[in-house]
Amino acid sequence: MADETRSQGPSEGRPAAAGRGGPGGPRRGKRQYFRKKKVCRFCADRVDFIDYKKADMLQGFIQERGKILPRRMTGTCSRHQRWLMVAIKRARNIAMLPFATEF
Amino acid sequence: MEERQYDLIFICRPDTPETEVDKIVSTLETAAGERGGKVEKVEKWGTRKLAYRVRKQREGYYVYLLLHSTQGEMIKELERRLKVADPVIKYLTVRLDEEMKRQRKLTERRDRRAARRRRKATPATSTEATATGAAAS
Repeated sequence: MADETRSQGPSEGRPAAAGRGGPGGPRRGKRQYFRKKKVCRFCADRVDFIDYKKADMLQGFIQERGKILPRRMTGTCSRHQRWLMVAIKRARNIAMLPFATEF
Repeated sequence: MEERQYDLIFICRPDTPETEVDKIVSTLETAAGERGGKVEKVEKWGTRKLAYRVRKQREGYYVYLLLHSTQGEMIKELERRLKVADPVIKYLTVRLDEEMKRQRKLTERRDRRAARRRRKATPATSTEATATGAAAS
């Protein structure tokens, strides 16, 4: 059902609807803006271990309010994001990073 | 039991005199020694701002220890001592040997792969080698 409507879309002269095809969208539509592909910073640096003691490095992966930045923002790969999460949580435990900013 | 590696960080009140901190470190060292462990490294990071308030303090004096231990009991004892020590406001022990093992494994594997790639690239002096070289650079 859904497939039918989508295939009909372009023929009816609605290119905008065709472009909005979920995650596979950018390849289909022509009017897509191109974003530079983000590369995992840890993979580029060949990091095998994320140290929770480097608080200033981890600071770059949390929001102002203290939340961990999602992968889609930083471009970190899933494995490194997992390690990063552990490191940030450890750093929080020893008061090097905030759980949530006060005030 | 195999040897385990731990990180131990504790935070003292910022107004703690240096001698007091040294005393705590030395008691930890003796306690570790008695239980078949060893303090490999002691680092004093000095007074730092805390990310949040701990026991009404906004700053703390950080001390970092790297431990080797063969008995889990030792960590228990060290943590007990830190708990009863008055100037200590927070402490954290992290077991690291498994992560180090993983790290070594990954690094080794990558080095092996890199070596293999290099071996493959060197004998072939044809266009293929130059192409891979260009791709690598």
